[in-house]
Amino acid sequence: MRNTLMTLSLLLLFASCHGIMDDIYDTPPADVETGEEQLYVDASDWTLWHYIDLNTLSVSTYPIPMGEAEATEPEAEQTGIYTYWYDVFGIGISKRERRSFVATESQPEPDSWHIAIHRNNVRTNGAAVHETALTSMDDLPESSAAYADADFHEDSWNETDVWTVQDKMLQGIIGNQGIKVNTTLSSWLDVQLPPFPPSFTLNNHVFILRFNDGTYAALQLVNYQSNKGVKCCLTINYKYPY
Amino acid sequence: MTHSHIHMTRFCLALCLTATSLLHAIADEGDNRSSKNAHRTDTAPTEDVVEADTAPTEDVLETDTIHLLNDIVVTGTRTPKLLKDTPVATRLITMADIEKADATNVEDLMQEEMPGVEFSYTMNQKRHLNMNGFGGQSVLFLVDGERLAGETMDDVDFSRLDMSNVERIEIVKGAASALYGSNASGGVINIITKESREPWHVNLHSRFSRHNALRSGGNLSVRGSHVANSLSVNHTNVDGYKLSNGDNPSAQVVTTTFADRTWSVKDKLTWSPSAAVKLTGRAGYYFREITRTADSPERYRDFSAGARGLWRCGDNDNIELAYAFDQYDKSDFYRIPNLDIRDYRNVQHTTRLLYNHTFGEDILTAGADFTYDYLLNTNLDGNSRSQESGDAFVQYDWRISPQWELVGALRYDYFSDNRESSLTPKVNARFKATDDISLRASYGMGFRSPSLKEKYYNFDMAGIWIVLGNPNLRPERSHNFNLSAEYAHGGYSVTISSYYNKIDNKLATGVPHYLQGDQTQLYLDYINLDGYSVCGGELSLQGQWDNGIKARLGYAYCNERFVRNKEGQNINNQYIPARKHSLTARVDWEHRTMSDQMLRLSLNGRFASGVENIEYVDYYDMSQGTKRVSYPAYTLWKLSASYAWPNIGRLTVALDNVLNYKPQYYYFNSPITEGTALLVGFTIDIKGRK
Repeated sequence: MRNTLMTLSLLLLFASCHGIMDDIYDTPPADVETGEEQLYVDASDWTLWHYIDLNTLSVSTYPIPMGEAEATEPEAEQTGIYTYWYDVFGIGISKRERRSFVATESQPEPDSWHIAIHRNNVRTNGAAVHETALTSMDDLPESSAAYADADFHEDSWNETDVWTVQDKMLQGIIGNQGIKVNTTLSSWLDVQLPPFPPSFTLNNHVFILRFNDGTYAALQLVNYQSNKGVKCCLTINYKYPY
Repeated sequence: MTHSHIHMTRFCLALCLTATSLLHAIADEGDNRSSKNAHRTDTAPTEDVVEADTAPTEDVLETDTIHLLNDIVVTGTRTPKLLKDTPVATRLITMADIEKADATNVEDLMQEEMPGVEFSYTMNQKRHLNMNGFGGQSVLFLVDGERLAGETMDDVDFSRLDMSNVERIEIVKGAASALYGSNASGGVINIITKESREPWHVNLHSRFSRHNALRSGGNLSVRGSHVANSLSVNHTNVDGYKLSNGDNPSAQVVTTTFADRTWSVKDKLTWSPSAAVKLTGRAGYYFREITRTADSPERYRDFSAGARGLWRCGDNDNIELAYAFDQYDKSDFYRIPNLDIRDYRNVQHTTRLLYNHTFGEDILTAGADFTYDYLLNTNLDGNSRSQESGDAFVQYDWRISPQWELVGALRYDYFSDNRESSLTPKVNARFKATDDISLRASYGMGFRSPSLKEKYYNFDMAGIWIVLGNPNLRPERSHNFNLSAEYAHGGYSVTISSYYNKIDNKLATGVPHYLQGDQTQLYLDYINLDGYSVCGGELSLQGQWDNGIKARLGYAYCNERFVRNKEGQNINNQYIPARKHSLTARVDWEHRTMSDQMLRLSLNGRFASGVENIEYVDYYDMSQGTKRVSYPAYTLWKLSASYAWPNIGRLTVALDNVLNYKPQYYYFNSPITEGTALLVGFTIDIKGRK
């Protein structure tokens, strides 16, 4: 009895002014450590595309051009900012209406690149993508020839997914860049709104990319958060050439 | 934390230790004196009065006596009073009420039992209380008289307040800052936990419903001649699911509920070495995980502990010395890298001294608290802030005559941040016109000191705007007037009450605005609003008959005027106002068999009228002004049947939302129901006889 009370009293006596049990929490490492054949890209900015060259493993960043012209009716697949209303507090972003369009310059890009990443969106430099059922790079067949007859999907026009302007998001008004993206590869990170803030779901399947020059790459998203929890900071396993 | 506070806290604890050692030495001498506890005295200043003869029992077969006002309450005056005699109007929810309501936490219970109480969602789906027009920030929640650390969108985390080991809940509506300080301007809700009464008592319970909703737990309590211990473990779980809304809602709706699970462990140890002394130690741990995003669930933890010594130092004097520690943490768990990163912590250390002295039938109460409040929040300017606060209060309970009783109190509070202080009075009067009729009147001043968050917040809300704290905020102040009349005779009682609250400098967020010269970033500041008022009333009817039927009806009217800023502009209400009309009802039929088994059939429900709120037409274009948004009325009813075996347990089957109400839109103040749901629960309850 005495011991119990003494222990309790001592526990209270020395309870830190600023709390107890700090040790149960982690201190996030300053930088994400990447392993062999692994890339890390902070693609969290709404206004930037990050271009990756798999030959050099370099990442170059280019801003999305913003329009300052009068709103007009767009021509087919015209580059620009497409502003949509999304039912973010209703049935979800699948319900949407276009509200305006402002033409912009074309998206600048480097001379050499393989894929470009903007948050949960991915474009390819003329490649086509096949989603495998594999969840480990180790399980890949020895040669990409195994996927010669697979179903590959090229980039396609999109004006509703590359969310660029968020300053009226609370009203469901979001400005998107109209540009071609690869929806197959972009499915490695699904974003849904509602709930608010958005929910993120990672798809850890391995994707096979077939480029115009006949080379192949295998990519797998393994994490989409930084060590501080920032979303759309992507850690990617890669195999190139595959 | 200053050295003075460290020294004071440790000094008080040293006193506790010394007292503990001395008392233990006395106990070791083979003290065969009466084991009756000191807290049976009439003026014991704590929640420990439940051992008085009128205390409810824990027997699951015990049919509750209807609240004919013979229970003892402590919250209104900090001294034990018969409910029928207390000058401070108090609503008591007994253990029997809690058992019949089959409530998981305080939110379920209050909505079922009390008209005028509503819990709604905030923008990020945290729960917000509105009680008679006061938000959760202005209603003080206590557990065994102690405050709770932490907040989730300004309210306490109601999931912490599970009902598995609760003896009773006392609700004092209206300003009680003269006894309880800041945040008590709308009332005080004091949750009083059970104490062991039998040599041993085992209780195991579980309840299941749709979406894998599970509530389970157990309590183990033992009691010796001087020592008692109560251990409680509880767990809840519910899966997340999507809600289906109609087209074109007129306000924001809830589309998804998130998976939510909790664990809690609590222990309370009491030692009564003599009739004059009682020592209590407690410790608790609470864990909650909400899965908004599968890969990074949000975690909430609370660590609490406390010690309290109660000394009856004479026939007319009681002294209580208490220390309470409460720490509420929030973190995000990143599953992929397996990192648990904390981003919030609130720690409160409180030391209290309370003294009661009786003069015949009059009681003098005096007390003082010292609190150290530490807030760490990654969205706080400077990352962390702290402040110390101290107070002293005095109350005199004057029994003028058998008919008249008057209680007056005055309290001074000081907060080190910005050196704020507040002087708050209150006065309560009770007149017993006859044995059956009591009339009560009261005036109380309430205040709410701006929190460290409201002063120093700097939060980028998903790029929409930056919520900015305001170090120049002034305390919110209220004036509360109450009148009530109570009639109780035989198996019937009627209570009618009315109130008027005038609130100045209400603390809230204001109008979103751009800074001069920068039209790119919106800011939302915390400000003091203009004065506004809330008035209303309640009617409560209760009855019980010899055929085993008991019934209770509660009705509340609340008129909460819309708030404006100091410039007279309508502003977007941060939270949806109180509904003007609300009603709760319960009918129970109980039948005992020859072998003392009991069948109970219950029907209970609530009705809430529609309500309007003022909201911005366009959050990004204030020039478009505000509009009125209507939120619909609803009614929910629950039908339940339970069968109890003496000293074995109870089986309960219930149909929740028996009328199959489904909201067309799940607005923030709509009930989250998908229609009729089946609930099945059992309790095993075995106790050793004295």
